[in-house]
This record gives sequence, C-alpha cells and structure tokens, in this order.
Amino acid sequence: MRHLTELALPGSLIGVVAGAMAGGLTLLAGQPAGWAAVSALALALALGLLGTGYSMLLGHGLFRPGVFAPAGLYWLAGFPLARLFQETVTGLTIHGQIYLPGGVGGFLAYQAIVSLGFAIGFIWLHERLMPHWLMRLKGNPKARELLATYVVHAESMWTAKERRRAQVRAQRAQSRAQRGAR
Amino acid sequence: MDTSKTPVPAEASQVNAAPGQEERVWRAGGLEPMPIRTLPDAPPSIHILGPTVFLVALGVGMGESYMWPRLVLLFGPEIRWLFLIGVTLQAVVMLEMARYAMATGESIFFGAARVFKPLMWFFFVVAILVYIWPGHLSAGAAALEQITGIPWLVTACIGLVLVGVVFSLAKVIYNLLESLLSILIGTLVVGTAVVAAMVGTWGDVTSTITGMFAFGYLPDQALTAAWFPVIVGSIAFAGPSGMQQMWYTLHLRDSGAGMGSHIPTIRGLRHAGEEEVMPARGFMFDTDNPEEMRKWKGWRRWVTFDAFLLFWGITMLVTVSFTVIAQAAARNTPGVRAVIETGDREVALNAMANSFASAGSSVLGAVFLGFIALIGLNATLGLFDSFSRGQADMSFHFVRGAKKLGMSRLYAAFLWGVIGFGILILLFGPADGPSGILDTLAFLSTFAMGAYCVTLLLVNNRMLPKPIRPKIWTNLIIGFGAVFYLGMLFYSLFAFGVVVG
Repeated sequence: MRHLTELALPGSLIGVVAGAMAGGLTLLAGQPAGWAAVSALALALALGLLGTGYSMLLGHGLFRPGVFAPAGLYWLAGFPLARLFQETVTGLTIHGQIYLPGGVGGFLAYQAIVSLGFAIGFIWLHERLMPHWLMRLKGNPKARELLATYVVHAESMWTAKERRRAQVRAQRAQSRAQRGAR
Repeated sequence: MDTSKTPVPAEASQVNAAPGQEERVWRAGGLEPMPIRTLPDAPPSIHILGPTVFLVALGVGMGESYMWPRLVLLFGPEIRWLFLIGVTLQAVVMLEMARYAMATGESIFFGAARVFKPLMWFFFVVAILVYIWPGHLSAGAAALEQITGIPWLVTACIGLVLVGVVFSLAKVIYNLLESLLSILIGTLVVGTAVVAAMVGTWGDVTSTITGMFAFGYLPDQALTAAWFPVIVGSIAFAGPSGMQQMWYTLHLRDSGAGMGSHIPTIRGLRHAGEEEVMPARGFMFDTDNPEEMRKWKGWRRWVTFDAFLLFWGITMLVTVSFTVIAQAAARNTPGVRAVIETGDREVALNAMANSFASAGSSVLGAVFLGFIALIGLNATLGLFDSFSRGQADMSFHFVRGAKKLGMSRLYAAFLWGVIGFGILILLFGPADGPSGILDTLAFLSTFAMGAYCVTLLLVNNRMLPKPIRPKIWTNLIIGFGAVFYLGMLFYSLFAFGVVVG
C-alpha cells in the first residue's frame, strides 16, 4: 500500500492546484476571504483525493498510461461529485444551507460536461509529470513496474527511429565507399 | 515528370544504391527525386502527447478567448455555427498537411516548391510580412501588466530575449518545446475548466453548444460593413490561423512521424555542431508493398486521433469555456456588454476581468488575465519557433550556399533576427499600443489560409503516389476551404470595402 501511495503524488498535486484555483473564483459570489478559503480547501481536498485515486489506479494497472477514455469516465463521475462536495461544504459552513444553481440534476449535468475538459487537461499534465516522478522512486517496485510500461513505449518509438537512421547512415557510407573505390 | 504512378526505378539517379542494384525513387515535380525507404511502424493510435501540442498552442489564442466570446455576446450563441465550420475545416486541413509530411518527411513548403517554386517563395514572403511583428507577445504582456503593474514593454522585451536564450541553449528544440507547451496548455485547460465549472450554468453551456448547430443563422446586423469583416476575421482565427498549419508539417517531421524518422532534428545553437547532415530532399515508401501500406494506415489512424480528439476537442473546449465565462461576466456586470461591443480588445478583456473582480477582490480578475497572459506566452513560444523553423527550411533547401551554414544555424539566425526586429519595433516602432500591431496583418493572414488550401490540393494530388492520395470527399472539403476563406475575404473587400476585422 505504501508503494502505491508513493505513486500518487502527481495526481494529487494536479488536483490540489486545480482546486486551489477555486479560492479566487468564489469571490465572484461577493463572499469574503473566509468563504474563499473554505471553498478552495474543499475543492482542493476533493480533487486532490480523486487525483490521488487516479494515480494509484494507474499504478495498480487499472488504467493504461496516456489512454484517455478510462480517465474521461473517471472524471465524468469524479468531477461533479467534487464540485457537489465543495458547494455542500461551503454552503453549510458559511450559510447553513446549500444552494445549487439549476437544482441538483442541472448542477451535476453541467459539471459532467465541464469534467471532460478537466479530464483532458488532467491527463495531459499527468502524463508529463508521472514519468519524472517514477524515475525518482528508485526503491519502489510498483514505480519500477509502471515506469517500465512508459519505457517500453518510449523505447519502441526510439528504436524504430534509430533503426531507420542507422540504415540511412549505412547506405550513405556505402555510397561514399563506392565513390571512393571508383 | 512522373507523378501518376506508384514509385518507379530511376534511370539516371543512383542515389545511395547498393552495388549492382538500381536505387528506386519517387519522382515528384522538377526537384530531386525521393529515394524509397522503409516506413517505420506507427505508434498506438490512442495517445495523448505529440506534435499536435504545437497546433493547439498556436491555435488556442485570441480567437477562442476573446473574438468568439465577443461575437456570442453581440449576436447570440447561434453565431457559433461558423466557429464549428471553421474548426472542423482546420481539423481536415491538419490531416491533409500531415498526409504529405508523413509520406515524404518534407515540409509542405518543399511540396509547394515541387509544384511551382514561386508558390513557396510567396509563403516565404508572407511569413516575414505577417509574423515578424511582435503583436502576439504584446497582447499577453499587456494582460500581465494589469496583474503585476510591470510595464508591458519591459515584460515583452525580457520575454523576447528569454525565448531566444532558451531555444539557443536547448539540445533538441522540439523536445524542450513539446514539454514546455504541454505543461502550459495542460494548466490552461484545467484552469479554464475549473473557472467555467464555477461561474457558468447549465443554460450557458447548452446555449453555447446548441448554438453551434444553428446552421445558416446570420442576423441582419452581421451583414454590415461594421460587423461582417469582424466575422470573417473571427472565422480565420477559429483554431490555427495564417500559416500555422503549414508549420505543423515541420513539427511532425521533427517528431519523427512517418518518413520524418529519416530526417535529423533541429538543435539549439549551442549544440549546432552535433547536428546530423540534413538530406537535400525527403523520402518515399513503397506504396506497392501491402505491409508498408498497412503501416501507413496506422500512421493515418494516429494523426486522425490527434486531429479530432486533441486538436478539435481541446480547441472547442477552451472556446466553450471562455464563452461561458464571458456570458457569466455579462450577467454579473451589465456594463461589460457595452464595452465588449466597442471592439477595443484590451478594454474588453479588462472589463471581463473587472466584472469578476468587482464582486469583492481582484484575485478572480487576475486569474482571468493570467489565462490571457498564458495564451500570449504559448503563442509567442510557438510562433517564434515555427516561424524560424519554416524560414530556415525554405532557405536551407532553396537559397544557394545556405546548406553550408546548416539547418540549426539558419534556425538560430531567423530566431534572433525576429527577436531583434521585435525589440526594435517595440521600442521605437508604431507607438499605438499592442492592439494596433496585431490587427493590420489580418488580411494577409486570411489570404494565406485560402492559398494553402489550394497548395494542399495541388501537392497531395500531384506529388504523392496514387494509393496515398486524398479521397474525393477530402478534396471537396479542402476545396470548400479555399472558397470559404478567399470568398469571404473578397466579399468583405468588394461589398463593404473593408478587409477583415
């Protein structure tokens, strides 16, 4: 479990940073700093936990690196719930009641649409950060395993490219040798 | 010229042929024939990172963040059907640009030279006229001034020098830029999604999305001298504008896509000495070989995924998010609509930011302006690299004596040239502020888009072997693109006496 937890940093980091952005945004509603802090904290916590979950499931082999569809489905369910959690916590903490624009159904449906955008941005950043983080986790077998899948993909791209280049170089050398012989 | 058949053995050229063997080449146009080489295996079609990041970085700009949200506030969400057509057209153009670049490892500029060399020189000149001005940088820097108080001129000049230094020190420029842009775009996409989730409503997003299918909607006010040129300009700025699609072929090549794997990558000035020898032309694969055609189909699937999920999807997403944000701004601060209608971009962007900030703090306004600055930074990094790449490619192959310098040094020369000119213009050029620099170039930019559609039709249908030429429906779409861009541009010119806004 400790090994899986270590893998979670990139996902949780992206989630927390995205959630913290909410701090400024709640001011839109004309609320004081207290509201903004609670709002940011609630969303950062929810998105951070979901980001942690994504990274851990990736380490568990449930998701494949760089594949969008499962990540899209994960956030389709997760993002609206995170927003619902944020609205509930801030509403109850500050006003003692919850107000969701468009009712629960409309609110969740709207958040589900936006979640696709969030999922693309999340996975885009995750794919950039995760390999670098895995390289740092030298003593973690789960990290080694996951890094291997990234490396296999990168290697297949690299060797194909190098093989072609080597062929080109060999052909050039051969042609130079031919010209020299003449 | 033999362009109507699949690759044939050359009679005269024995380029790199093994002893006693005849080198097979593909003759296209009057330039050097392309030797036949093996096509590498395609990567899995479903992927997330790749050269599309450049097109997204270039494409998601002022059109998405300002021009289209503004049109929606003015004419209603139904006007967005034109945006849908513009971006979808750009996705098909992207696929067709990739066809030539992946099949040959050559840029579309080289392809244009194979058809008719002056056509390539036309794009060389247009690139200088349109992209040498530092307008794209000044827009982002002006937004940064609003947040930090640092004069935009200072940020812009420091930014220009910084871009030059970073690209000169990089070992392989493509790798550095792909990583950098991926982080920036990822942050932008995540950030706009969170903003839209918090300020928008179900009604905003449904009206924005359903508006995309109101085909044919054009209110009377849109067909006036005041607004039609603005609409034409906005269509040209839906997705990548001007020559950005043409430069995408150079990024595809450097990423090693298709036959681009046979071409060395461009290095930073500091590592220019380690550069491999750049071949004088591209390569072709054996289109008669079923195994090679199978690999080709794999590469087409790979780029189709890029075009429709990454490019089309992200561009659409960002513009929907910004439209939702603009609608929320108009709702919260009624005065913002009037300001946006006046058409001064900086005033309107500040008004949109202020409408958020007026509720209690400047933080939200700063977040919004931060996105605008981020878009400006993306555009600057992408445009400087792309411009230098394109001009270096054309100079290397078609200017006598340029090969001695090498591709990396030519790249550095164009990069530092455009940076130096940019700083001079910012310091001593027209003093009418950031907006004035950007807007005057819209005509050439739009004209180039119509011209590259015509070029694509000629290059892909005449310079490629028959089995990999575009299908009729693709040709019809690209032909429609040429008529669409040029038709609207000239209609605006002749009917209203105005180019584009």
